[in-house]
Amino acid sequence: MYVFVCENSIDGIFTGVYDAWASKYGHKNIRLTVCPPDTYTLFDEYITVSTDYERSGKVARTLLQRLGEETYAELCQAASALEESSKRKKYMDKADALYHTIVLALSLKDGSKVLNYLGDPFVNRVFELSRSTGNEAHHLLGFLRFQELENGLLFARIHPKNYVLPFLGEHFADRLPQENFIIYDKAHSQAALHPKGKGFFLTDASSLNEEMLNRFSPEELEYQKLWCRFFDSIAIEARINPKLQNQNIPIRFQKDVIEFTK
Amino acid sequence: MNLQTSMNILDKLTILSDAAKYDVACTSSGVDRKGTGKGMGNSVAPGICHSFSADGRCISLLKILFTNECIFNCAYCLNNCGTDVVRAAFTPEEICTLTMEFYRRNYIEGLFLSSGIMISPNYTMDLIYQTIYQLRNIHHFRGYIHVKSIPGADPLLIEKTGFLVDRMSINLELPTAEGLRRLAPCKSRNTILKPMRQIQNRITDNKQELMIYRETPPFVPAGQSTQMIIGATPENDFQIMSVAEGLYQKFQLKRVFYSAFVNVNGNSMLPALPGGPPLLREHRLYQADWLLRYYHFQVSELLSEDRPDFNIFLDPKCDWALRHLEYFPVEINQASYQTLLRVPGIGYKSAERIVKARKRNQLSFDDLKKIGVVLKRALYFITCSGKMMYRTKLEEDYICQNLMRDKTQLPRDIREGGYQQLSFFDKDMQSDFQLTDARILPPGQQIVTV
Repeated sequence: MYVFVCENSIDGIFTGVYDAWASKYGHKNIRLTVCPPDTYTLFDEYITVSTDYERSGKVARTLLQRLGEETYAELCQAASALEESSKRKKYMDKADALYHTIVLALSLKDGSKVLNYLGDPFVNRVFELSRSTGNEAHHLLGFLRFQELENGLLFARIHPKNYVLPFLGEHFADRLPQENFIIYDKAHSQAALHPKGKGFFLTDASSLNEEMLNRFSPEELEYQKLWCRFFDSIAIEARINPKLQNQNIPIRFQKDVIEFTK
Repeated sequence: MNLQTSMNILDKLTILSDAAKYDVACTSSGVDRKGTGKGMGNSVAPGICHSFSADGRCISLLKILFTNECIFNCAYCLNNCGTDVVRAAFTPEEICTLTMEFYRRNYIEGLFLSSGIMISPNYTMDLIYQTIYQLRNIHHFRGYIHVKSIPGADPLLIEKTGFLVDRMSINLELPTAEGLRRLAPCKSRNTILKPMRQIQNRITDNKQELMIYRETPPFVPAGQSTQMIIGATPENDFQIMSVAEGLYQKFQLKRVFYSAFVNVNGNSMLPALPGGPPLLREHRLYQADWLLRYYHFQVSELLSEDRPDFNIFLDPKCDWALRHLEYFPVEINQASYQTLLRVPGIGYKSAERIVKARKRNQLSFDDLKKIGVVLKRALYFITCSGKMMYRTKLEEDYICQNLMRDKTQLPRDIREGGYQQLSFFDKDMQSDFQLTDARILPPGQQIVTV
């Protein structure tokens, strides 16, 4: 086996796909991984992939062209998913699942249909990962809360499992074109910045000044109060059901949602 | 009447959201609308839930009444003209500010505006129209708007409003005309169904206009919905579902909502419901409603005059399957999409995935599990490549006993609240209705066509 060890990002994985394909070792003899192994096995050869935007861009263009926008978006979602490692359950590595799904897709007459073939274990894993990212992104479209800071800027803090920031940035840039806003993904130390009237961009946020973020505009607390009051009065007493509530808005989201923290 | 004039916005919001909470339709689905780079807002077809209130229901829209003043006297409503509650009214500007400020903080997906009837239906409908007009044209709000149309309002006002909103709804309130006459004497089937028909016709015309000329403004693009109160009057499930089916077929409604009756003002004409609102019944009605809309079922297959109510212990699909074992087992790798839809444990999404996936590989039980099929329900009814998952008997009693062991047959809140709900459902409901000396209507009564 030839094991390509790549960086855990869309570009890292796509570069890995490029290198693995170009190596001509034969798809059956190739494995991709985003986790550098703890113990190297004797009969496998390990190849470290250094992320290269030119090569990953080539892969992205090919996929977009051959598989269509929808399937391409699903593959990106899968690549953004959290790589879960648990001792109890051994998951298939997402980079490996993506590589073999891409190999299958490019061998099909109509590559856009590849994600239909859920009987294939690689495809199934990609489907699962993509759904996990998609679901979390969809949750956050609703659960994300902006707070207005002193300078009129809207600021939101989130702690997602998967890397969903690009999907959120796109949604809110379309929704709030005339606002300056920042979405801060604390779990991944990244932020999406949107200046009024322009597109959004992603940036490293490890040096974010958190103190500035607690100075709200004078109206902000008023609207939070109004919203929390609405939130309380809209519930029907005869149907109170905290378990159902926590099932619908899982507790891990609640710490970033103002009506659950006040 | 206790109308407060000097009230701040927090008090108004408290009163007018509290008064709107029994309206169920808080969905924001059905419209895809991109932003334009100007103004604020867009809309996504699947809808977005922004929060969940303490009762576990989704909060998607800012759900408020324009006013809780009302000249009508519907017995089930807390705001009817006879009750002694604090009254309040928003101004259009206040509603616009609340909507815009909540929306930009991402609290909500849009506005749900209903109202009590102040002065006259036309006066109230016009206020609603003014509000929505300002929101769309002065604040350039492009988010979701759902408006209740006021029964008895002028058709012209309804038409003008329809071009500004995404969804309109008129509450049917009670499943039969008789119930309506008794409990909501100011409303009639006519004042409810006429505007419903008007909106339906306008939507149809609009779709044709849009095909010819793309710039035509869309009319109620997310369609219309309605709501029925369940358990305030003695109709059985068969009557309720027949009405819903009629509404879907004859009025092309997008959704019918069912709201378990809560006796808010202790009116003696209404049942007392000591066991709480009939939540399990509501749950079964929603399950059956999905079977009508997504699973090609007809009411006559689920219920009949001899079996007018849903099974308490089993969901309607399992219940149907047990009575039609002659169709089973179904071979997963061959059965048509329609056939797969009828298998308990296979949802419409799983059915779609199965049909696509099996083109390439024969599917195994393990694959089905990964696709999302609930095998603990499906396993009695399916084979994969000719084999069943376990050795089971295709026998009603045997399968029924096993399915009943499946906890998900009853919603968790009801399961854990003990079986109080069930006994109430079995016996107490009958006696409650005898208190009301209401005549039990013959089953199968159809709604009138306008």
